[in-house]
Amino acid sequence: MLVTGASGCGKSTLALTLAGLIPSRVHGELRGKVTFGGRPLSGLKPYEASQLVGLVFQNPNLQLINQTVQSEVAFGPENLALPQPEIAARVSWCLEVTGLAGMRQSATTTLSGGQKQRTAIAATLAMRPRILVLDEPLSDLDPVGAQEVLGTLRRLARDEGTGVVVVEHRVDEVAPWADRVVLMDDGRIIMDRPPRDAWADQQPWAKAGVGIPDLIRLAHAVPDAFPAGVPLSVDEALDVLRGSWFEAALARSGAARGDAAAARAAGAYAGVPAVPVLSWEGVSVDFGGNRAVDDVTLAVNAGEWVAVVGANGSGKSTLTGLTVGLGKPSSGVVRFRGQPVRPGRVFEHAAQVALLLQAADEMLFETTVIRELEFGGRFRAQPADPVLDVEGAVEFFGFRGLEQASPWELSQGGRQRLALAALLVGAPGVLVLDEPTTGQDAEHMRAFLRLLEAIRAHTGLTVVTVTHDIRGLASRASRVVLLGDGKVRLDGPASQVFAQCDELARWGVLAPPLARLQAGLLGAAAGEVLLDVDSLAAAVLAHAPAAVPSHGGTHPRGSAAAHPGARLDAVPP
Amino acid sequence: MMSSLLVRTLVSYLLVFGVPLILPVAFVKLVGLGGLRELVTYEARDTPLHRLDPRLKVLYPIAMGILSILLSWKFMLIVFGLSILPWFWLRPSSQRIRVLTVMVIGPAIGGFWSQGLYYLPSPPIHFLYQFPPTISWLGSPGLTTYGLIFGLEQTARVLVTVSTSMLILVTTDVSDFTWAFERFRMPPQVGFALTAALRFLPEMVSRTTLVLRAVELRGYDLSRPRWYQVTRWPDYVRRMSRCVVLITVPLLVGTLRGTTTMAMVADARGFGAARRRGSLKQHQIAAIDIWGYAVLIALVVTALVLNYLHIGARLYG
Repeated sequence: MLVTGASGCGKSTLALTLAGLIPSRVHGELRGKVTFGGRPLSGLKPYEASQLVGLVFQNPNLQLINQTVQSEVAFGPENLALPQPEIAARVSWCLEVTGLAGMRQSATTTLSGGQKQRTAIAATLAMRPRILVLDEPLSDLDPVGAQEVLGTLRRLARDEGTGVVVVEHRVDEVAPWADRVVLMDDGRIIMDRPPRDAWADQQPWAKAGVGIPDLIRLAHAVPDAFPAGVPLSVDEALDVLRGSWFEAALARSGAARGDAAAARAAGAYAGVPAVPVLSWEGVSVDFGGNRAVDDVTLAVNAGEWVAVVGANGSGKSTLTGLTVGLGKPSSGVVRFRGQPVRPGRVFEHAAQVALLLQAADEMLFETTVIRELEFGGRFRAQPADPVLDVEGAVEFFGFRGLEQASPWELSQGGRQRLALAALLVGAPGVLVLDEPTTGQDAEHMRAFLRLLEAIRAHTGLTVVTVTHDIRGLASRASRVVLLGDGKVRLDGPASQVFAQCDELARWGVLAPPLARLQAGLLGAAAGEVLLDVDSLAAAVLAHAPAAVPSHGGTHPRGSAAAHPGARLDAVPP
Repeated sequence: MMSSLLVRTLVSYLLVFGVPLILPVAFVKLVGLGGLRELVTYEARDTPLHRLDPRLKVLYPIAMGILSILLSWKFMLIVFGLSILPWFWLRPSSQRIRVLTVMVIGPAIGGFWSQGLYYLPSPPIHFLYQFPPTISWLGSPGLTTYGLIFGLEQTARVLVTVSTSMLILVTTDVSDFTWAFERFRMPPQVGFALTAALRFLPEMVSRTTLVLRAVELRGYDLSRPRWYQVTRWPDYVRRMSRCVVLITVPLLVGTLRGTTTMAMVADARGFGAARRRGSLKQHQIAAIDIWGYAVLIALVVTALVLNYLHIGARLYG
């Protein structure tokens, strides 16, 4: 079961209630009851409830108490004072089903994000729960780690008969494996359906502020291409679309787009002089013999929005951290507006390059919103031509009336906005964002990206975004750089980089579903892909054949008019 | 020249303040905040030391500590050597050796030096360097030979316990500690507290590093002046003091959030459900454990007997 909804809709509270931790461990008033086989869970002790319903928390770092994988998994059964053979059997089984059998002696601190999450799942499974509840298990994971975890959950449900409840906002990744989709809004369940029917009515999703997966939106925009119903995965969509009129129309539109893109590119690169703001010249970074960044030469030009993508550990954060003096290159030089960046002089370079950490909460130090915005001005000289002054930031970021509020009274999105505003006050020419959308639901992510676009329009800032979460960024960044094993593997417009799905996958990055669909249908001919649903649907419909297509039985152009729900303007953005 | 009051004063100030200053400098240059992780991080390997009976491992630093208190200086040197030997067997990484050396030797030098300055034996006192009145008003008449030797003895005694404890920390999974404590009839909460502390100390160090980085990214100057930029040091101290206040809030908020989750996880995994916990590992006494116990008992008994016979006993008073 997939439980989804916007941030703050009550998903995590529901998960805690299911696990019997409310009100025994989390203060609150519980009305109604949660039962398992007729037994009320709220009346049970946590360890009794956890043998019926196990809860895996969001952050694996906080739930791994022991030092090795096997001792972590054994912790629960040991607490239950089970006989040694039973403990050993449970540990072996848990490690086997979570794919960690080869890592039982590994220290938990050395595991990757996906491995930590699987260890947390294994430790919860060791209590032998009949139902496993996972609270946003994918939020900090890159696509590879997410697939590891989803694969484990799939095996558990299919082979072991364990009920799995996943509370998650990365709907498109979980929906293909779910039997039920539950949508929550404002503390209530407003929809509970099988996934194929879950998006038949889009109003509840719009009301709940939850984004609809691109493939579903495409199916609604071009319903004749999907006569059997909405596809839940790219593979499913490919099965339906191969050999159909959609594929032919896509190929025709692709050829037309290729000519236009070539002309556009020639014009763009010939006419506009590139002014590098940031540059890395033959930069390498070594950590104790491991090369995190390997001979990177790269320039970011004024006004660009560059998305640096790559799997966890690909060197993204190391590379961008160098722009403010975090870390020291083993070789090469990093420049800001032609001047070398001095390693270690972070506070000096922070006036030129603002770096927003993923953990924005860690960047707030003051007691009120206004003091937070004034923070930089108290400790360093402000430039004559500030990007934003304090008053401007209060207005622009929507903090009017909240000036005296504590930062900790703001929502998570509000705190992230405040940290961003505080960085921008007075300072920089470049904004670097480290995983800004990771862990956010689709609505908050869209709001944040809209805010970034507004900032760029308002200030002309150059933006560098470091991420493994390419939702939303794909169609907004003017340029995408793929890092793999510390090297630049791809560099170009998003529409061209995301067309190279195999190369992206090779370096642990999953292209957006629409890109994978187009690449799957066109193969090597997909030199450029469309990254938003409206453009793709319009392109395909514009090149649809006049004759009746093999699927659907009606003319595709006619079908859009014949199905009111299929009109493009009816699809939520 | 050396007899000039000014030179003698300068040399004296250097001896009093210069040597202790080496310690923070060595910490910053060779360890850093991130290096503290190495101090208590378990080294997941499969060595004979890792496989020793956890009870023996808990008793080992205690027994060595007793020996270091009971025995005289010459015998203490043997105990000190014995406490260092297992490290050669373990062969830790060079990074860990560097961190351990600075963190253990640093305070040891501090203790040794302070005794040299402030421990005053009965007259006649042999001064290695006698301070002029321009500094002796601080309380130390000079650097004494006996004080340094006494400091060396005391430091070596402390190092025995520190070294053996560190060795056990890096070679013992905390679940084994919990098991051993339980066998010694101690409450399981003691083992769990140790487990949580050892597991989350490195986490805390990482978070502190992250928050300090965030402070700098917000434009706060944490840069250190050069040693000769004397006029800048007061401002540096002021900035660092204020920084401690700044980072307290995010650290506290993050830590409280983390401990709440950890407590729920421990509850959900049945901590405290049974009076006596089970164990994944079958802790069977092997030949190496018997040898270990035998050596440890023999050492303690020998020390007690020697002490009783006033051979190699530590002299008091």
